[in-house]
Formats: sequence, C-alpha cells, structure tokens
Amino acid sequence: MNDESAHSTANPTRSGVNEDAIAAEAERWQNDTRGPYVNANPERREEFVTQALKWSINPLYTPADLEAVDFDYMKDLGFPGEYPYTRGTIPNGHRSDFWTMTQVTGFGKGEEWSKRARYMLDQGLSGLILEYDLATTNGYDSDDPLVEGEVGRAGMALDSLEDLEQAFDLPFDQLKYLMSVCNAPQPVNLAMIIAALEKKGVDPKDLVLHIVNGILIEYTCVGRYIYPPQDGLRLATDCIEYIIRHHPNWAPISIIAAQLQPAKANPVQEIAFSLSIACAYIDATLQRGLDIDTVAPYFHFVINVDMDFFEGVCKLRAFRKCWARLMRERYGATTPEAMKIRMMTSPTTTALTLQQPLNNIGRLAIMATACALGGAGESMTTPLHDEAHSLPAEEAIRVGAAMQHIVAHETGVAETIDPLAGSYYVETLTKQMETAAFAEMEKIFDMGGALKAIESGYFQRALGREQYERNRDLEEGRRKWVGVNHLKLAEEKRQIDIFRLDDSVEAEQISKVRDLRARRDQEAVDRALEKVREAARSGDNMVPPCLDAVRTYATHGEICSAMRDVFGQHRADSQLGGI
Amino acid sequence: MQPIEERPLRVLLAKLGMDTHTVGVTVIAHALREAGMEVIFTGLKQTPAMVASAAIQEDVDVVGVSTLSAGHTRSLPTLARLLREAGAGDKLLLAGGVIPEEDRPLLEEAGVDRIFTMGADTRDIVAYLNQWRATRREERD
Repeated sequence: MNDESAHSTANPTRSGVNEDAIAAEAERWQNDTRGPYVNANPERREEFVTQALKWSINPLYTPADLEAVDFDYMKDLGFPGEYPYTRGTIPNGHRSDFWTMTQVTGFGKGEEWSKRARYMLDQGLSGLILEYDLATTNGYDSDDPLVEGEVGRAGMALDSLEDLEQAFDLPFDQLKYLMSVCNAPQPVNLAMIIAALEKKGVDPKDLVLHIVNGILIEYTCVGRYIYPPQDGLRLATDCIEYIIRHHPNWAPISIIAAQLQPAKANPVQEIAFSLSIACAYIDATLQRGLDIDTVAPYFHFVINVDMDFFEGVCKLRAFRKCWARLMRERYGATTPEAMKIRMMTSPTTTALTLQQPLNNIGRLAIMATACALGGAGESMTTPLHDEAHSLPAEEAIRVGAAMQHIVAHETGVAETIDPLAGSYYVETLTKQMETAAFAEMEKIFDMGGALKAIESGYFQRALGREQYERNRDLEEGRRKWVGVNHLKLAEEKRQIDIFRLDDSVEAEQISKVRDLRARRDQEAVDRALEKVREAARSGDNMVPPCLDAVRTYATHGEICSAMRDVFGQHRADSQLGGI
Repeated sequence: MQPIEERPLRVLLAKLGMDTHTVGVTVIAHALREAGMEVIFTGLKQTPAMVASAAIQEDVDVVGVSTLSAGHTRSLPTLARLLREAGAGDKLLLAGGVIPEEDRPLLEEAGVDRIFTMGADTRDIVAYLNQWRATRREERD
C-alpha cells in the first residue's frame, strides 16, 4: 500500500500534493501504526485542547487539514509585505532590521524616571514606554485625598508640565520612540508632552510619540475611566484628529489587545474585540472629514502572546490578516499602508508566577520566541521576571533587555521570513482563528458596534465568564502551571530583590504641586480652565484648549476636573463591570 | 439578621483607591457565589471610608479587598481602623492580590485577618471562609 504506485495514480492539486491520497494514507497510518501504539501507550490526557480557546488539537496535521479549512496559499498567505500580510507586513521580515526593543518604565518623580530611562537606553534599548501612576491615569493630582498611597507607585506622578520637563532630561538622539500610556485624560497628557518637547527644543519630527489613547478598552476591562463612554470616545477622537493634522509622523492610537488578554480574552475575542474597537475610533475619525487611507495607517496594536506557543504565533498571523480584510472589505481602503497592521508584540505578564520567580525567565524567553516567529511587528517589549512580585527591579531590567537580544541574535528565528508558514497545524489554526474572529465581529457590528457592546456590558460579561472558567481549568488541574499547581515547592524562599519606592516620593510630589499652585499666574489658569469647559460643551477639539491650559501650568487634575464639570463621571455597577 | 449558621455568608468585595485590576476579584466573586455565598461588589475607586460604610450598611460578615498596586500598606490599615472604630471589628477582613511577603507582618498587625496572594486557590478561600463561619458558630454556642 505504502509504495510509489499509490502516489503515481494520484491527481496532484495545484500545490503539488494530493489531499485525498494523503487522507487515505493518514487513515492507514492510524489503523496500522498509531492505533496499536496508543492502545499500548494510552494518551496522557483525555482531550488535548489549546490553552485559551480550548479548541481540540488533532494528534497530527497533514495537507488534508488544510483542505478541510479551505486553505489557499495565494489567498490566505500571499507574500511578506503584501496583502493579506499573513506572512508579515515587512517585505524582508527581520533580515534588514530587528524589531525595536523596548521595556516598560515609569515610576516616582520625573527626575527618577529620567534616571531609569537613561539606564535602559544604556542597556541597548531604543524605545521607552512611559507609564503613569494611577492618580494620573484616573485624572487626579497627587495631593487629592482620593489617591493617597498611590503617588508615584505604579508609574510616574505627573501633576504639571514641570514634572515632564524634569522627566525629559534625556539623550533624545538615542531615543527613537516614546510611548505614553494615559488613556482617560488623553488630551491633557498629549498637551503636556507637546509642551514639554517644545521646552526641551526637541523637533517633533525627530521622534515618534505614541499615545495609547485607548479609552474603550479601559471601559471593557481595565477600569481607568473618568467620563461616560461616548465622551471618552470623543476625547480619543479629538487626539487622533489633532495628531493626524498637526504631527503626522506620530502615532495617535494604540489598541492594546494586550490588556484584553490579561482580562482573559481568548485569541478570537482578542482579535474581534480589538478590531471592532478600532472600528469605533475609525468611524468617529472619518466623521471628522478624514478618509480611510489617511486614517488607517495611524492605528497601532499591542498584542500579547501567552504560553500556548501556537495560539500565540497563529494569533499574530490571523490578526494581520483580519485587519487587512477589514480595511479592504468594510472600509474600501485602497493603499497598502492602510491594510497593513502596525503592531508591537509582548510576552504576557499573566503567564508569570509569584512562585519560583526565576522560572519566569524561561517563560519569557519562550513567549518572546513565539512573538518573533509570529512576526514581531515593529517592536517588542518584554516584561520582567519579577513583575508578579512587585514593580520591576534593576537586575530584572537587564535580564529582560538581554532576552530580546538572545532571541534576535542567538536563535536564528529572525533569519528567514515567517519560518513557521506552511506548517499544517499553524496554517489550520491561523485560518480557524480568522474565521471565528470575523463571525464574532459580525455579531458585535449587529449590536451597533463596540461602543454599544461596552454600554450594554457585553464585552465585560464575556470576559468575566472567561476569567472564571480559565481559573477553574487551573484549579481543577486541566491546565498545569509549574509552581502553581504542578511541581510546587513545599517551602519557598524568595531570592529576588524587589524594587521599592521611597514613601517620601508622595510627600515631595504633594509639596511640589502645592508650591507650583502658589507661584503661578492663577488668573491665567482660571481663564484657561474656563476655555477647556467651553470646548467640552461646544464639541470643539479639546487638544488646543488643553495645550493652552498646560502652558499656564494648570495641573493635570485641574484640567481633568474642568472636563468632569461638563461630562460627569462614568460609574460601572457589577453588571457593567462583568463581576 | 439571622444567625450566621442559618443564612449564606455575606461577603463584600472591594477595590480600594485607584487600582482597577479586576480579574482576581471577578474570579473570587464567581467562586464565592458558586459556593452559595452572597457577594456584593463595591465597584471601583473606593476609599477606605466608603468600603467601611458599605460593609456596615450591607451588614456583611466578610470584607475582601483586592489590591494589585502598591498602595495596600496604607489603605488596608486605614480600612481596618475605620471598621474597628465603627464597632465592626468583628467582620473578617481579607486581602488578596500582589502583596509582597515582607508586608504581611505590617498588615496582619494592622488587623487584616488573612492574606491570599496571587495564585491562591479559590477552593482554599471558600474552605477558609466556611471554617471561619464554623468557628464563629462555636464561639456563639
């Protein structure tokens, strides 16, 4: 049976393989070879499934599986740098340049951030992410009683233009890009950065400022919202429009799918929720008189990869293809720039464990490799192995930076483009994810789009269910997690240094902002804040009045409150919180 | 209110301050409900005073605070103090989330009854609560 004649009678398809013959052979293999073996050596588990989607995994994939999902090389893959971009958006993969290697930083006062940022640039990183403390991201000044204990803790404290002037004491010639994560108060934050760069004499054309501007995901799962969802969407759109018109080399929006993933979105939800959220911003921006071929290239995605290596790789590939299809089919985009997704990838922190924290170095290396193999995109950021314990410490930063260089220089994964393409398993899973994500997006569009899905709590409840179910998988042992429910140590001694922020930071920051308020021109501040309220009421773009206010040294919290006066505040009950 | 053994445990789950990470508290809420407990969620961005007052108003047996930023060393002791001052020091006060080992003594001294860090098994939390309830019953008898 297994001789040459069996193949010679076959009728090869265009791809040069005969799927029927292979299917017949696979059946024979199952009966003659695999079946008896499995009878003697029963399988380790009753069912093999992917980690997040829980899709059944076959023991073996062959060209017959590709045929079953209607795989067509030209239609589904094409070539790198060309539609539908499954094999990557860069025509030469990472053979010309590696991805930009970045790490998250941001804590304490402006000066401290600057010191840490310099250290990171010295370790070979060329991009930085600026994260703010929760007082800032929720729109409060450091001396607001509501934020006691949070100042400078989860990121940098930003009360006024003065703080950023100090943070930006940096070698700007080494810095290719700067990402800022401050969603709900985005117009205020954008205005602060523009004003600070002006003060430092940095030409805005010399670096790429990325603002995340991701308020819709905040309502979906992160929770750092201030105003009601429709006002949040309007402020985000103001920032997108302002940047496109005034700083066209910057990036005005990032869809952080990497926040949906820790909220336990499975890869299909991650793709469908993120892309439908992107559509909400796109629709609003098109209403400002911009066209899709101008707007689409400004969208940027941050996508996490979890420990299921193939879910991770296939998700990145399916993401690129879904974006391309959406831009072409839904919006009629015509340029390649509009149809190729921009993305930053990252290993997820949610795969890391508090237990046996050094194991996390291994996990991060594997996930970083999956990112690279899935097509890392423009940049990759690596979290640090001690993040489950506390905020990043210095040695962990060095190891994290080195890890990206190890993946890039030592493993060979970046030496050819999209090296996993053509794997029967990878292509089957990629195609299945694409199909399922499009079906979910249709459902969301039928509801009226992402804003409606948020206002009705649909996204939140879907994620709440996933969170509970995925946790049960773990507790009931369907998923093994080393150190957590497998290979647990009876008694563990912690050996890792934890970075601690001095408590005096809060006191200093409070006296700094109070001192500023005492010496600035209060009348100018009051006038500027009134203009902010007027613009909020009139529907004008909020960035120019915020910029004027920032220059008078009106504080971040004051400007956010001026908008609270007009918009009110969003309150989510447990239904809208998915809890 | 009925005695503790004749009704489901009432649990208030809370997020203090600006920390808005909700995966942990969502999982706990589902697990406690599944175990027959009544769960009330405060919503996000609560102050210790708001949580203490909700705990008293809702007449809960247990207050569980989920914390994933580093503000816990101040907010939890304040909450414990406010509960005591309001005569509600008998409520069980639990904390969960990212809490470094070295903060345990401080929090326990301040009145946090039990800390469950990231990765804790919800079945252990349910068992702990049921055992606490049984102890309370014995104390009453």
